[in-house]
This record gives sequence, structure tokens and C-alpha cells, in this order.
Amino acid sequence: MSIQYGYNGRILNIDLTTGKIEKLPVAQDDLIKFVGGRGLGMKILWDHLKKPGVDPFSNENPLIFMTGPFSGFPVPSSSRTCVITKSPITSPIHSSYSSASTVTYSNVGGFFGPELKFAGYDGIVITGKANELCYILIDDDKVEIRDARKFRGMRTDAFDRTILEELRDRRFKTVYIGPAGENLVRYASILHTAARAAGRGGVGCIMGSKNLKAIAVKGTKQPFVANHKRFLTALERARLALKNSPRTKSWMELGTASFILESSNAGTETVRNYREGTFQDVYKISADTARREVWVRNIACYCCPLACKKSGRTKGKYGGIVHDGPEYETGTMLGSNLLISDMAGMLKAIYNVDDLGLDQISTGNVIGFLMEAYEKGMIDSKFLDGIDLKWGSVDATLAMIDKIAYRDGVGDIASKGVKALSQKIGHGSEKFAIHVKGLELAAHNIQANPPRALCYATANRGGCHLNGDNIEMQNMRAMIDSTGICLFAVFDPELEDPVLSLLSSVTGLEYDKATFAKTGERVFNLEKMFNYREGFRRDDDWLPDRFFEDAFTIGPKKGAVLDREKFYEMITQYYKGRGWNTETSKPGESKLKELGLTEIVT
Amino acid sequence: MNEMKGKQLNVNELHDPTRRAFIKNIGITASVILLGRFGIHSIVWASSEKKILKMILVDYEKCTGCRTCETVCSSYNNPVTVNGETLPGLGNPVYSKIRVVSFNPDVDVPNVCAMCPDAPCVNVCPVEPDPKTGRRALYRNETTLTIQNDPHRCIGCGSCAKACFEQRRGVIMLDPQTGKPDGICNLCNGDPQCVKWCPVDALSYVEVRPERKFYGLSPEKIAAELAQKWYGIKEVGGLK
Repeated sequence: MSIQYGYNGRILNIDLTTGKIEKLPVAQDDLIKFVGGRGLGMKILWDHLKKPGVDPFSNENPLIFMTGPFSGFPVPSSSRTCVITKSPITSPIHSSYSSASTVTYSNVGGFFGPELKFAGYDGIVITGKANELCYILIDDDKVEIRDARKFRGMRTDAFDRTILEELRDRRFKTVYIGPAGENLVRYASILHTAARAAGRGGVGCIMGSKNLKAIAVKGTKQPFVANHKRFLTALERARLALKNSPRTKSWMELGTASFILESSNAGTETVRNYREGTFQDVYKISADTARREVWVRNIACYCCPLACKKSGRTKGKYGGIVHDGPEYETGTMLGSNLLISDMAGMLKAIYNVDDLGLDQISTGNVIGFLMEAYEKGMIDSKFLDGIDLKWGSVDATLAMIDKIAYRDGVGDIASKGVKALSQKIGHGSEKFAIHVKGLELAAHNIQANPPRALCYATANRGGCHLNGDNIEMQNMRAMIDSTGICLFAVFDPELEDPVLSLLSSVTGLEYDKATFAKTGERVFNLEKMFNYREGFRRDDDWLPDRFFEDAFTIGPKKGAVLDREKFYEMITQYYKGRGWNTETSKPGESKLKELGLTEIVT
Repeated sequence: MNEMKGKQLNVNELHDPTRRAFIKNIGITASVILLGRFGIHSIVWASSEKKILKMILVDYEKCTGCRTCETVCSSYNNPVTVNGETLPGLGNPVYSKIRVVSFNPDVDVPNVCAMCPDAPCVNVCPVEPDPKTGRRALYRNETTLTIQNDPHRCIGCGSCAKACFEQRRGVIMLDPQTGKPDGICNLCNGDPQCVKWCPVDALSYVEVRPERKFYGLSPEKIAAELAQKWYGIKEVGGLK
């Protein structure tokens, strides 16, 4: 069996140490087994790191930008670019390797992935480290490494505009880091269009470690699809399905921010560093308020009818910001989690976090942790360089954000994440340092939501809310992340059939729901094997004590708390369902064989 | 890999930071005399018995910048032959005639031929009118009323692109090899695909009325006004 369709069939390999640029073919077998995006990126990472414990900051660790088979075709909502690398922020409880960490994968919408496909590549693999800050320019077959020293320290909003002045062509699509990435903040993000981010897991930190400020790309090509006529038919079905869906209308009107109110009402909102699941001032930061007071435009990624991104301008003391948000994650992590209910102040914080190139989720989580440690007297204002980091303080939050991005004073240790912070502070603060495997949890609180607790505990990149609440969802999502389509669009059940038909017609391989999920399962298991090889075991698939000890004191889910024994049993059943060893969490031989992974991992 | 052949459009120069550099690149200096903003021709057109001129109208309030219009335009206008059957292409937006120009802060301006009644692009075409048809190389198709180029007679001077860029929207792109124009909307034989497939119904197929707000303006001018209105800021970033 061979794949000739849906792909360019080549990956751009750039070694920033030597400046060597190669356009290498992709193995057919890898395309079939790992598809693209998160899956193919994992396979490439595996092939590059032949042994465990490689320092994520070393030249060897590849920073991988991947498209999927849908990228570059007008498939609705297929805008995602997936960034894969070895994580700079995660770590196991025990390991023989001092630099042990998980894989990380983070995807971003917008226009970059499709444009990379148009330029004639399925992905970019960057290794090594440039002597000076540089950026990569890709204009179809022309690929150059260019000097970026004059951009050092430039924030992302300014860079987004300035780079186009240099390139003199709006058709270039760019991804870049801000000061946080340059300064190696462990949870630095990679930005696109000044507001979209591959935020999670520290991909921007690894980009910074390679002295790479940005990548710009444009192109004029496009691969063929295997069955052109079937593709066009399925494309029309997909477009009509989304156009007529009530879900599309909801995404358009309120975006992910609609969940701020819903989640608070359901007792699943992240409030006061995960202490509560309901926020009494939630209406002040909700989507309806934003729609009324801030938002003026709905903005979409490439070929997406959902347009879940919202742009607007704020007024007042913290006003004058033109940015997107709140989204569910940003409005929760920098809103309710910090007890901030000043909409304009919160949006200023959201803007600054993007502008400096930090991950919204980890940043909000770290600041929430510090607020709690400060309230409890575990740290004083001297530890915080004089910042009066009280719950709800916008000014203190803004000050901390700057500290973190520049690793100034307390920002140095805070830039290493909540796990490192709690180890430094001690006093039992580990209990409310809300991370899994070192990666900060996101805006979904879990005392009243055991399936989401499993989602966090078993995610291969650490505390991830998008991982999926059960095995089937996890497998499906690993595959969705491998195709280039956006998870939000695929939430729509009407899209399931058209997507399978589109994928079959693009690649020429016949996909039904079972084969789609099976491919995702393969991806998930290779990620797991990577983590296992690093030393991650069952103990690492666990949650901070808070979730088992601190029952909610307010809201509709008052009294809710997770049960340790039940959760342990839930994980045991999960491993059994996965075909993994229930004591070590290692994927079983028969599972690896079933997935065609045996030869790869041995 | 499918290298699309013969359609290397010069998209680089459009909306270039330096208008002067762009104009220099065009090569030939043509003298353009403006008779009012839309010239005497619009009056002549309006009073004539000719068919109604139609165009693609953009509702900027609705547009989300998703670029679906670009892909369907590109698909329709760049068909491919598969097993002997002609089918719409796969829609790389670089070959689209409608182009979404995106700015920072978030303003997206789909830019498409305004179907100007006075057609400055046609007026500056230096190719002698054909004695039989009266057409220059660039001419208005009598049936579709859209602007077309006859590549056999076109000398690739770029005057049309320059006129459009200076006086209207700058939709005309030049092939970097031949200098011949492309990017002019053909209304898809009366069934504009961009209008049909816009997921938010931001595009409509309407009669040309030059008195409409934003009519015939460049994306930069439109974006500046929208940014002022929506965000209260004057500068739209990216290129100066």
C-alpha cells in the first residue's frame, strides 16, 4: 500500500547549528501509521531521540511543526498546526535520568499550517541552535535562515506587524515567540496572528532555546487528493452540515467563553486556585458581558465557519487594549481562578500574557498558586519582590506576569512552573500546586467531575484538559490532532461522516470510525511508550492532594471532592481497558503488537 | 506533488509597503487623467440602455476573515481534469480573484474587482482597439460585463494594474514572467461561488452603485476606517 495523495511527501529539516537545510522524503509507512500532526510528529520525535533522558534544551531535541492530511485543503476548520517536541516543563516522580520529561504537543489554529502545505512541505523539523537570534523564511522552494537580532526582546503584537514590514508581503504567515520564549520561560508559547497560540507544554521555550524567533512561510503549491470527486462531494456535505448546525451559531455568538457561566453553574469552573468550582462574580466576566461591552467582531481561522475568536476593545483604567478574549481558558485562568472580576483588567492581563509570549493557562495557574501561598503566609511580599499578590488584584497580576516573562526576581523560579515553585516554597504547598507530571492544569475543575480528572491524570503531555475523558475520546482526539482539523468543529456529530469520507478521499485509505480511532490509539500508545522510557510510571498518572481533600464549600456542587480509592480504581480500570500493566502503566506486548508498534519501540 | 503550472501570479507586490516601488515595478508610465472620482464614464453608463452591471458586495461587519471565498473562487476558476472529467480544483487561495487582506488589529477586507463603470484599467490599456470588435487587449465582455484580458494581444505592460492600484482597489495582479494581468473577478458566469459559499453570508451579488460606502476603495483605506470605527485606532499594522 502506498500513499501518493494528500501529502507533499517531504519534510523540511533544518539544523540551526550548521545551517544545513534538507528536504527529506517521509516514509510511506509512517504516513499510513501516524497520519500527520501530533501522530507523525511523535514518530519523528521518537526517531530523533533514540535514547531516554535527552536534555530538552540540547541540540538533539527536535522542534517539529506538523501539518496534517487536511491541511492546505478547504476542509472546514482544518487550520491546525501541531508543534511537537520533548517537554521542558514535565518531570517524573522517579527516574534514572536527570533530564527526563514527557513528549509535548500543542496545536494552533489560524493560517500557518495550510500555508506550510502550500509551500510544499508536510512539516518542519528544527534541530541544533543558532549562534544568534534568527528566523526562518520559507517561500516555496526557497528556504533561508535570516538574522533576527534586531527583533530581540520584541513583544508579539509588535513583531506580528513588524515582520510583515520586513517581508513586504501580507501573504506570509508567521509564527513567533515573545520575550518569554527568548528568556526560556518553561511555559512560553508560540504565537500566530498576535493572538492565536500553541500555548501548552513549553513549545515556545524550546523555540527560544534554539535561538529561533520566528518562521515565515508562503507557497503556491497543493498536493492532489486520491479521489477528487468523492472529496468534492464530502466537502459540500461538511460545509452544509456546519452551516446548518445550531452549534455553529453558538460558537459564533459566544465562542468558548459561553462555558465560563455554564461551567460555574455546573460547579466545574476553576476558582481560587482550584479551591472552588463556582464563582459568584462570574457574570462580570461572562460571554454575555463581553458581547455587550467588549466584542465587536467574530474572527475565524482558515475555512472555519465557527469563528469562535472574538475581538474587541476595552475602556477605562485598563482600557485601550485591542485583543481577543475572554475565551473559556483565558477568562477562567486569569479571571475566576484569581478571583478577578474586572473585565477590562482581566483582558489587559490576557493581552499582556499573549504579548509577552506566555501560556495563558500555566501563567494563570502559577499566579493562582502564588496568591494562595501568600494568603496562607507560606511566602511574604519579600519573596514576591514587594508585590502585594492578593486575590483579585489586577495590578499585582500584571506585575507578576512581567516578572515571569523576564524571569526577574521571583519570576525566575515562577518561570519554571508550579511544581518547581512548590518544591522551593515547601510548607506542604505541594498539596495545592495544581499540576500533573509538572504541567499545570487548565480551567476545568474536577472535584465534581471524575472523568475530567482521569483526562488530566492520563494525558501524555501532563495536565491537559483536551486529552479526553475516557479511552475512546482519547484515541479519537489523538487522531483528530493528527489530521489538521480542529477539535471544536468535530464536536459537532453532524461532521463525523463527512470527516471520515474526506479523510478517505484525501489519503486513499479507507477510514471508518473504528480505523480512525485505532490510528489514534497507536499515536497515544507511542506517546505513552516515550514517557515510559523516560521513567514515567503509574504514580505519575495522579493528581494533587487538593482534589481529594478540599471539598467545594460553595455552589451547586458544594461538598464535592474526589475519592482516592475510587480514583485509584478508575485508573486501574483505565489501564486494563488500554491493555497496559496496572502496576507500572506499561503498554502490554499484545497491545503494542496489535497496534504495529512492537518493531518501533524495541 | 502538484506544481500548478502557468499561474505564477505576482502577489508579492500587491499592498506593498511602498506604493512608489510598486508603481516603478509596473514599468510603463501612463498618464491618467481623472474626471471626478469615477469619471464621466459612470454617467454615460448609467444613462445607457446597457444591461445592469453587477458586482460582489462585502459586508465587512459580517466577514470573519475565514477565506472560504478565496478557496471556492480558486477551485471554480482553476478546474482540473480527472479521468477525463473536468472538476473544480482544490482551491489554493493564491489563485483566487477575491483576496482577503488581513490586518493587525483584527480587520479583514475581502478585496475584489469593483466592476467600475468607468473601468480605469481598460481605459489605460495601450493596445490599439481591434477595428472589428473595438476591443483593446483589456476589455469589457459584452455578455458577462466583466473585464477580460486577451493574452494574445496583451503586451504585459502592467498599465491596468497600475491604474487599478492607484485609482481603485488594486485587485489586478501581474504574472511575474509575462506581466499579463489576472485577479479580475469574472462573476463565475453569473453564479459567484464566493457569494454562494460564504459561511456567514457576508458577500452578496448586487448591482454596481458607486455611491455606496467603501465603493472602489483600497483595502488599506477600508481597514483604516473600520479600525477607527471598531477599535478607535487609526493605524492598521503590518505594512506602512
